Amino acid sequence: MNGSLTVRTAGRAVLTDLGRTRGPALGLPVGGAMDQYSARVANTLAGCSEGAALIEITAFDFSFTTDCDVLIAVTGARMDVYVDEVAQPMWSPVFVQAGQTVELENMVVGLHTYIAVHGSFEAPMLLGSCAPDTVAGFGEPLRTGSTLRLRLEAAPLPDIAAAALEAVDLDVDVPAFGANTIIDVADGPDIDEFAGTEQRLFHGPFRVSDRSNHIGVRMTGRLPVRKFSHEVLSRGVPVGAVEVPPGGELVVLHRGRGVTAGYPVLGVATPVALDALGQVRPGQDVRFRRCTLEKAAADARYWEERLTQLRLRVAEAYAQIGRPELNVGEHTPVSAGPTELWPPHE
Amino acid sequence: MMPMTTVSRCGASAVRVVGTSGDRERDWKLVHQVARRASAAESLGVLDCIPTYDSVLVEFDATRTDLATITAAIESFIAEADPDSPLNETPRHFDVPVVYGGEFGPDLEEVARIVGLDADEVIRRHTSPLYVIRCLGAPGGSPMLDGPDFPVAPPRLASARTHVPAGKVSVAGRQATITPAAGPGGWQLIGATPLGLFDLRREPPVPYRPGDTLSFHRIEAAEFARLEGTALTAEEGAR
Repeated sequence: MNGSLTVRTAGRAVLTDLGRTRGPALGLPVGGAMDQYSARVANTLAGCSEGAALIEITAFDFSFTTDCDVLIAVTGARMDVYVDEVAQPMWSPVFVQAGQTVELENMVVGLHTYIAVHGSFEAPMLLGSCAPDTVAGFGEPLRTGSTLRLRLEAAPLPDIAAAALEAVDLDVDVPAFGANTIIDVADGPDIDEFAGTEQRLFHGPFRVSDRSNHIGVRMTGRLPVRKFSHEVLSRGVPVGAVEVPPGGELVVLHRGRGVTAGYPVLGVATPVALDALGQVRPGQDVRFRRCTLEKAAADARYWEERLTQLRLRVAEAYAQIGRPELNVGEHTPVSAGPTELWPPHE
Repeated sequence: MMPMTTVSRCGASAVRVVGTSGDRERDWKLVHQVARRASAAESLGVLDCIPTYDSVLVEFDATRTDLATITAAIESFIAEADPDSPLNETPRHFDVPVVYGGEFGPDLEEVARIVGLDADEVIRRHTSPLYVIRCLGAPGGSPMLDGPDFPVAPPRLASARTHVPAGKVSVAGRQATITPAAGPGGWQLIGATPLGLFDLRREPPVPYRPGDTLSFHRIEAAEFARLEGTALTAEEGAR
């Protein structure tokens, strides 16, 4: 019998992962964690594969109990974390004993917090991912009383080993979430259609609207104006696309975006900026900064290197406690191939 | 000869390839072939490809590759592509019953007015073609089709609907489609099919793929109720 967690306060939370890369070619968004860096760090700290299922909390308090000893890691937007009312750190492995209650409270800045659990969770899958897709009707929000079955058969770590692991300084790079979010944007392929008004994007600020969600972060402000208007054929739209659709708002498409659309792409938020955007709140102001593709790629590589170093330190820590086999953390690069894009007709 | 294309950068982790030969059929086959090759090139760090009518968006992991490498690879895929070979060696056919107008297709009269035809003629022109499914689009793997032969291309709605139910049959610009899953939508709704396109228990969740063919035929509201919830399946035998 595998162990399980039981949700006590559901707030607004789901099971998710890094997304469904097989989706876009089939007309489904990639989806997955809105702040990929924080999700990857959480799984790495918990000794899980980066792409393992984990809990994504949005805005509200969350609590759960466990019927077995577990090692967890909490990352993302700052919250107060308690295990049986004793405060615990974020961005660090935390040992929880069977029967204890874990409470996360008071998210004030940022929007998404991640809880990874050693062993990860059983979860329904669609095209290789458990990430919810609200349009397709896949994935249920967690509810009070929901039981999440762990994938490990036994208690994952002896408590002595867990205590040793907690004591290691893993020196995690914690991104700053705050009121002064700056979103780096590279020029998009259709920037000329805005005939100079694209400059307005970089004068800002723009205020995040409460219509924002995983599909796109919507903002009001002095909007760039599309100067040429013609019906275009539907095309694939990248995650991060900055568009100005009718309706008086600017939108930066996020991981839940419809994969095809007919609007011109003014700019594209960088991979690092997408994580920052995944943490902005309605009512908050953001600014855009024009960025070269070279800088966008260099920034992405900088954070990737930090993750690689963290993975090595975690592996080292497990080795030091004599249980290297318990760390399954690895960077499993997701890829569309080599599998056939289209399965054969039956 | 290298097929005519435009390759543009689309941020730090995507490239857009547009076929520019002016021959829609060849451009379409080209971009789908590029998508297949790019998806299969695992070492390239490609995350996913979104091929559509005349373009393909190739999304990649910017930490595993760089634009120069990806662009060079894509150019080789373009050079290797054969825009004359069929996309799908064994295309299947899907026949879709539709109730037009009224509550099923609230924009039918408006589309008729815009294109300058009466509603019956709009329906006749919508049910005439043997459509080729060009690609799977949003939401939910919509079968994206070329639009019917209207004198004028009906534009997208000025303001998108926040909720379009599954099964709606719609047109916009030079395009037509069916909505497999409920979601927001800015296309003109001219009818609805009682058949279910989308099934989460199946991978992929829709039964058709690019290169398959599709046709529409008109049914009455009474038949809609009788067929409601039946799954769309391919016709037996080649067409």
